[in-house]
Amino acid sequence: MDRTSLDLTRRRALLLGGSATAALAGGWPTAALAQGSTLRAGITGYNVINTLDPGKATLIPEFYVIWGLYNALMKFDAKMNPMPDLAESVRASGDGALEFKLRQGVKFHDGSDLTSDDVKFTIERLLDEKFASPNKSKVSAIDRVETPDPLTVRLITKEPFAPLLTFLGNARTGTQILSRKAVAAAGDDFGKKPVGTGAYMLKDWRPGERVTVTAFENYFVGKPHVATIDMPLIAEESSGVTALLGGQIDLTSTAPFADIPTLQQNSSITVLKQPGMNCRFISLNHRRAPFDDPAFRRACSLAFDRNAMVRAILFGEGVPSAGLIPPSLEYAYRGATHPLTTYNPERAKAEFAKSKYKAGQEGVVLTWGQTWWKRIAEVFTAQANQTLGTKLTVEVTEANTVFQRLRAGDYQASAWGWLGFIDPDEYTYDILHTKGWRNFEGYSNPKLDAMLEQARRELDKQKRGVIYKEAETAMLEDMPILPCFCSNIHNLMSKKVRGFEQLPFSNWGDQFANLTIS
Amino acid sequence: MTGTGRYIAWRVASMLVTVFIGAAAVFFAMKAAPGDPALSVLGESATPEAVAEFRSRHNLDAPLPLQFWTWLAAALQGDFGLSLTVAGGRRISDLILQRLPNTVFIGLFAVAMAVLVSLTAGTIAALRRGQLADTLATTLAVVGISMPDFWLSYILVFTLALGLGLFPSFGFTSPLDSFSGALYSGFLPAAAVAAPMAAVFSRTLRAALLDQLHREHVFAARSFGFHPLAIFVHGVFRNALIPYVTVIGLQIRYILGGVVVIERIFGIPGLGSLMVDAAFARDYPVVQACAIVFLVIVLSVNLAVDLVCTSLDPRRSR
Repeated sequence: MDRTSLDLTRRRALLLGGSATAALAGGWPTAALAQGSTLRAGITGYNVINTLDPGKATLIPEFYVIWGLYNALMKFDAKMNPMPDLAESVRASGDGALEFKLRQGVKFHDGSDLTSDDVKFTIERLLDEKFASPNKSKVSAIDRVETPDPLTVRLITKEPFAPLLTFLGNARTGTQILSRKAVAAAGDDFGKKPVGTGAYMLKDWRPGERVTVTAFENYFVGKPHVATIDMPLIAEESSGVTALLGGQIDLTSTAPFADIPTLQQNSSITVLKQPGMNCRFISLNHRRAPFDDPAFRRACSLAFDRNAMVRAILFGEGVPSAGLIPPSLEYAYRGATHPLTTYNPERAKAEFAKSKYKAGQEGVVLTWGQTWWKRIAEVFTAQANQTLGTKLTVEVTEANTVFQRLRAGDYQASAWGWLGFIDPDEYTYDILHTKGWRNFEGYSNPKLDAMLEQARRELDKQKRGVIYKEAETAMLEDMPILPCFCSNIHNLMSKKVRGFEQLPFSNWGDQFANLTIS
Repeated sequence: MTGTGRYIAWRVASMLVTVFIGAAAVFFAMKAAPGDPALSVLGESATPEAVAEFRSRHNLDAPLPLQFWTWLAAALQGDFGLSLTVAGGRRISDLILQRLPNTVFIGLFAVAMAVLVSLTAGTIAALRRGQLADTLATTLAVVGISMPDFWLSYILVFTLALGLGLFPSFGFTSPLDSFSGALYSGFLPAAAVAAPMAAVFSRTLRAALLDQLHREHVFAARSFGFHPLAIFVHGVFRNALIPYVTVIGLQIRYILGGVVVIERIFGIPGLGSLMVDAAFARDYPVVQACAIVFLVIVLSVNLAVDLVCTSLDPRRSR
């Protein structure tokens, strides 16, 4: 792989040869020390990183690294509750503003101190039209930022906006806090020369190949245990598995679903898994036949077996969905089943009879060949055709084309899904609200719109959760999309690695500070 | 020799024309395909404003012929521009310089392996025609040709890397960082690339040798009582090298672009993977640059093969 792994191979040979000597001499401290100094954390399934500027980042592997280089005002606990990170505390002040007290003594990688002005700069940069950040929507509810003193930040919103606190967390939000000074110094190169407050600093970055980071001595939580973390970009997930089994890497960011049962039997590695923050569904275009008819949409939903999908496509690594909000968002999750999302051929035929379409009805499910998307479309069309006598077919092209056609509304149905989003609002409002910017379906339901708007304004988490549950149940009557399943997320770890806590949003770099190697 | 000089000049000129046509074909084909680099880089959260900003920043909203002309004018001066979506903002020439040594190294390593194996196997098979050695070599060649390279890769990984622990199961050290490291980490991928090539080379060499062995000049030389080794080296082997070298030259194409799967399995940052990634992400300038590099290499190798064949058979230069 690289020199490190060759060194390790040699070192292993040395260790073998020297084990007798070591027994006499009382260990081999230098070797042990050297081994603890580098951890190889393979970013699997991806190999493109374009920028490490949170304001510009969109790709999952970009955020993997960003989470280790920066901190946001908030971070997440295992239940996805926002917790203070760069903020020491947060409270809603009487006038509707969110007031953050920043931690004292936080240093950026360039040695400067974190102040409220850096927070103001970060948010205003995202809001700046000219900067054209793809993550602007995360802060667009903010009207203005006030900095009464160097450690106090007040965010004033135009109206109450419940998801804001979540959006200020260290996930795929782009709201990681930057240093005004460092951004000005780097100019257009900031994405290549990132400066954050995170546990690790960028050391080396070879596009398409690897990113290497080193521990930041002055990290505000304390100096990280592992000196260097090397992140090879491994496009093939299965190669990530062989690399881990062969000892070329110590940790992976994903794992192939089909391999999980075998890997769990392997005593030399640890498999971490849980239902992830994602939803996989079949997007239906309401502007075109045949999915313009609610009875036909319901018939389709009843005509296929989601449990079979989970077994056939995920090898059991997931749960069926009866909505868009994933189970990890417990307070807003309405459960895995609903009569309208349960396979029921009789009822499916009855709904089909109510629709304006007849047996033999054609329709095309657009999808692309990579990973499971094609199979979702295949399982769905095969079962729906069998149950309803329709002639639905699958059109396979590639992801970029599918995405473009979806945005243009140039499709009938498409296997689709979102992952890594952290607020119920992103799973519902964005996809189902008339003005939702990911509502490619052209769906519009004033009653549902009102509920989703109400949920945005409701700052009490439990009350807000109830609204989402009701909204999703109401949505199912209309079946604007066909929920399919929520898939598990996985990390594979060598037994010598400790300290990685897997969070449902497929976290990565945020855990680097806690890692140790034995 | 002026004849050869004029020949090379003519070939180089036609190469330039081919490269130009190839560049134009790749450019317009890429643009004709649906998809948008802005969506690749801005992803699912792309807002219309962000997309518009990206397009104008990268001159993607200009008319196509103008875009091509802008690109060509810069490329003629050796400037391939900046990557859009696979290594945002990086100089494409840097990306290529970083990856070309890996591709060339694995390619040469594999060709060296395949040549060594095929010279031995092909010669033995021809000289021991119909005997056990021939049957064995021919059978192995059929297996080598029929076996998918990715499948062989996994067999090699599971046996030699994970099983015996002789080689790393994944990863590649650039020959620029450590040559011995590149030999060590590149052995399995090169072997996987070499296997089908060795099979093709062996069969070609065997057939060519057999053809030559039964020519009249060989019978004549034998009847004069020349030493069998001298007859083989000068009368048989040298002639048989012409189709052999030609076939090796043809395989260069495969080494450049066809080993993407092997590059993926072993994590080799090669030029083929870069081009495939770029095509999927609609990184037009990177695809263009890779296509040019591939074209130039393939055409140069073809030229070199022709020149080698000419030197092997001086009649060809007439």
